[in-house]
Amino acid sequence: MKIAASLCLGVTLLATPGFAEEISVGLAAPLSGPQAYFGNTWHNGFKLYWDKLNAEGGVNGVTIKYNQQDDKADPREGTLVAQKFCDDDSVVIGLVNFNSGVAQSTLPIYEDCELPTMTFGSNPDLTEQGYKFMVRPVANDLANALLPAEYALQKLNAKTAVIVSDKQVFGQGISEIFGKNFTAGGGQVLDTLAVAPTDVDFTSVLAQIKAKSPDVIYVGAVMPQIALFAKQMHEQGVNASLMVPDGGYTPDFIAQAGEANVQGTMVAIQVPPMDASPAIAEFAKLYKEKYGEEAGPYSIYGYVHGQILEAVLKSTKGLSREEINDALHAVKVQTAVGELEFDDIGELKVAPSYLYKVEGKDFKLAGSK
Amino acid sequence: MSNTSTSPSVKPQASRLVAVLVLAAIVALAAATPFLPNYHIRVVNSLLIYILLGIGLNIVIGYTGLLDLGFVAFYAVGAYTYALLASPQLDLHLPFLLIVGIAAVLGMITGILLGIPVLKLRGDYLAIVTLGFGEIIRIVINNVDWLTGGPKGIARLDKASILGVEIARPVEIYWLLLVTVFLVGLFVWRLERSILGKAWAAIREDQDAARGIGINTTNAKLAAFATSATIGAIAGTIFAASQRFVSPESFTLQESVLIVLMIVIGGIGNILGIVAGAAILILLPEVLREFAEWRILFLGILMVVLIIVRPAGIVPRTFGPEKLIRGLFGK
Amino acid sequence: MLGTFIQQTVNALTIGSIYALIALGYTMVYGVLRMINFAHGEMFMLGAYAAFLVLTVFVGDIGAVGAFGLTLAFFGAVIAVGFFGVGIERLAYKPLRNSTRLAPMLSSLGVSLTLVTGVQILAGPQPVAFPSFFPATRYDFMGGTVTSVQIGILVAAFVLMFALYTLVNRSRMGIIVRAVSESRPTAQLLGINVNLAISAVFFSGPLLGAAGGILYASYYGIMSPTMGAVIGLKAFTAAILGGIGSIPGAMLGAYILAFVEVGGTALLPLITNGVLGTEYRDVLSFAILILVLLVKPAGILGEPVSEESMVYKREF
Repeated sequence: MKIAASLCLGVTLLATPGFAEEISVGLAAPLSGPQAYFGNTWHNGFKLYWDKLNAEGGVNGVTIKYNQQDDKADPREGTLVAQKFCDDDSVVIGLVNFNSGVAQSTLPIYEDCELPTMTFGSNPDLTEQGYKFMVRPVANDLANALLPAEYALQKLNAKTAVIVSDKQVFGQGISEIFGKNFTAGGGQVLDTLAVAPTDVDFTSVLAQIKAKSPDVIYVGAVMPQIALFAKQMHEQGVNASLMVPDGGYTPDFIAQAGEANVQGTMVAIQVPPMDASPAIAEFAKLYKEKYGEEAGPYSIYGYVHGQILEAVLKSTKGLSREEINDALHAVKVQTAVGELEFDDIGELKVAPSYLYKVEGKDFKLAGSK
Repeated sequence: MSNTSTSPSVKPQASRLVAVLVLAAIVALAAATPFLPNYHIRVVNSLLIYILLGIGLNIVIGYTGLLDLGFVAFYAVGAYTYALLASPQLDLHLPFLLIVGIAAVLGMITGILLGIPVLKLRGDYLAIVTLGFGEIIRIVINNVDWLTGGPKGIARLDKASILGVEIARPVEIYWLLLVTVFLVGLFVWRLERSILGKAWAAIREDQDAARGIGINTTNAKLAAFATSATIGAIAGTIFAASQRFVSPESFTLQESVLIVLMIVIGGIGNILGIVAGAAILILLPEVLREFAEWRILFLGILMVVLIIVRPAGIVPRTFGPEKLIRGLFGK
Repeated sequence: MLGTFIQQTVNALTIGSIYALIALGYTMVYGVLRMINFAHGEMFMLGAYAAFLVLTVFVGDIGAVGAFGLTLAFFGAVIAVGFFGVGIERLAYKPLRNSTRLAPMLSSLGVSLTLVTGVQILAGPQPVAFPSFFPATRYDFMGGTVTSVQIGILVAAFVLMFALYTLVNRSRMGIIVRAVSESRPTAQLLGINVNLAISAVFFSGPLLGAAGGILYASYYGIMSPTMGAVIGLKAFTAAILGGIGSIPGAMLGAYILAFVEVGGTALLPLITNGVLGTEYRDVLSFAILILVLLVKPAGILGEPVSEESMVYKREF
């Protein structure tokens, strides 16, 4: 069956140079549940770019179809979706798994069926396992926790920090890296506290932190925990600079914590400011026109992934998974967030990361790397 | 419970027909699965793992009448046993069957450890203590990072192999699961009809009377917890071997509740009921995948409706494997 | 040190008050029906969403809500959720009243799933910012910090619990409810309208739960469709700890649980010299629950299950 299909494909390839084809792209992310917003808006960014390309006739006559599946941020669900993509011969590339924990369980499956993927899970371990069919077109947590640590030490003149982690893959990973960088730079980590990922009340943790009076508090967690933490921190009268990872880069953070409670909070994310370049401003405008709302925190990356795929399809020798994988690893492309290319383990050679400071209702760029 | 089952009113020929149809359907599905695309095989594997879990938990809930809301702890014990003994984590790579044996023993020990303190408790108090036990195990796994990898879990588990035959592809896992479910199902079914099974039934119907007629309720309950935990741990090893990645996210309270629901909706105390319950709660959401959140809404409403219409489950307690076999041979 | 102590005590009292309001609903339903109502946490969630709905639809701009608007939203929401609770009982539990004990419990799980998903579909799965019902002012008191919101929650919870306690102990309806709790068959024989008592419980339980939900949302500033699940489980634990079926027990259990949680966060790393961090807080709570139940198998204030009072011989 598979042989027959590839034979047919071969024949069509020979017959029609500049192949007028339709291929499928597997899109997997949480589309229901608490993280649905991130998954949906990320995919929307991708669709925004490709809806336009499709309408214009695609790249060299190749148009794409979306095969969008919900992985519910659950590893077991993720493996089923992965297998679904693998089985579908028309799927030749995947844009998969928002969560590192899910990616851990699906990457071996994609590797087995040789389906190239662009993974969005940011845990550094993912690229360390020798997968040949994955790239990560986004800065990993190593990069994301370096900038805030440097900023705290150099710009805020911080000497001491307390780290709070939600004991989840992302939160724990990124806060450990922050701690390492902070200590390496000459700072002192006074305490590392863990909270449950479902916690809403941090008053007791804050009372402990208050007694230690650190210069900086780094909270390795996601929304809404970081908003709750910021609010309660202010209410409990804890005076320290609060630093949070990418989850805080959303207007919800300011709304849910209360504007007065988050002033001066530092947020690190891989996303450039929406007015950073004409390309990004253009994206933000298009997104709003199409979906009637502001772009989500990761929408720009969906858009960038669309641009990467465009470049891949322009340079690929053919449309088999293998050929696309080769083209994906070799790609060098000018995107909305700058020029991107991958190293031999599929990591970005230059991974942009940014640090923002909350001022009023806005995020003001405070540093980038 | 006087099961207002339809079976007495059904004529022997009719029940024979039903039996033949049900058996034929099961055999046909089992035989057809290997020829389906891998995605479908994975879904069936998932179904079989839940059936295995259901068979295990059913011993405590369905046979003995104790509500255990922490069953997932044993599942986790099995999964992490495989993950630790067959991965680069501790650099141990023991053979699969040996690990299954170790996991079974560990499962049994944890089952007894849980069983001893809760023997005095009844009803809802037992339920909350088992729930607490399940949560404690999960939180501990999530926090002893040096051993379990913490929230990151353990990746790159070995491919399982039995006597040199590699068991890693979905279809191979399928055969492993099918054989395991069959053997465990047979064992548990025989157990239910043994003297121990009768003791369990007595405890279920009236604990005090059971003690009154000389049943050692303590030992019988411990046996129930131990057997159930062993099966849970075996299911865990196969789950770990098929997913080749374990993390605490797979062992939440929701999983325990899902298994309880499966048993009750399908038909409590009945292996065929578990199959039916698993089919509804595992297959239905997969079939309705396109409907995203609406499928969960539908599932919630369906649960309420099913329980109201058939409080004792879809498959009546009397319609067990025995009935099928009898129906088949016309006895 | 004293400041930290005072502050942690206030923190525990605030959390405990919210747990108590919800634990009461579990315990009252258990009293009359011997059923664990897993959908009760969802009443808590619905309370917050209903109040938010009232605020946006009838009061208009969220930012500029006056005292009248807030009062309207609060009472409108809790009464609506109260009636909703009665409706759910009629629909999903009443048909199962003479069934096995597992059936209504699992039916409530189905109700819970339906309500959470329903709200997710209607209002979106993200947490939503919720307006504060009290102006947030900070008072520093002997080194500790207490906010006006915390004081407001304490007062509101105490008033509600006192009202419930008086109703149950002094009013005619209270007597009926207590009679049904004692023994449903006997109450029925005495000509007591059992359905009325059950409806009263399914009105007041969700009402208190919804009140808890509104206080919670305004205290923490957010609400989300899944907020009921986490808090519901804690409140349920508290109700069991205090002795399920006992109203003072539920309150006591809630405060004990809150103090254990806060104490665990504050003391675990100190006592174990950093071996067990704050991440083991929930382990400590469950361990204490298990220990208490081993000593007192029916909870702190629960009546021991005597063989005569076992209405059901079968446990499930």
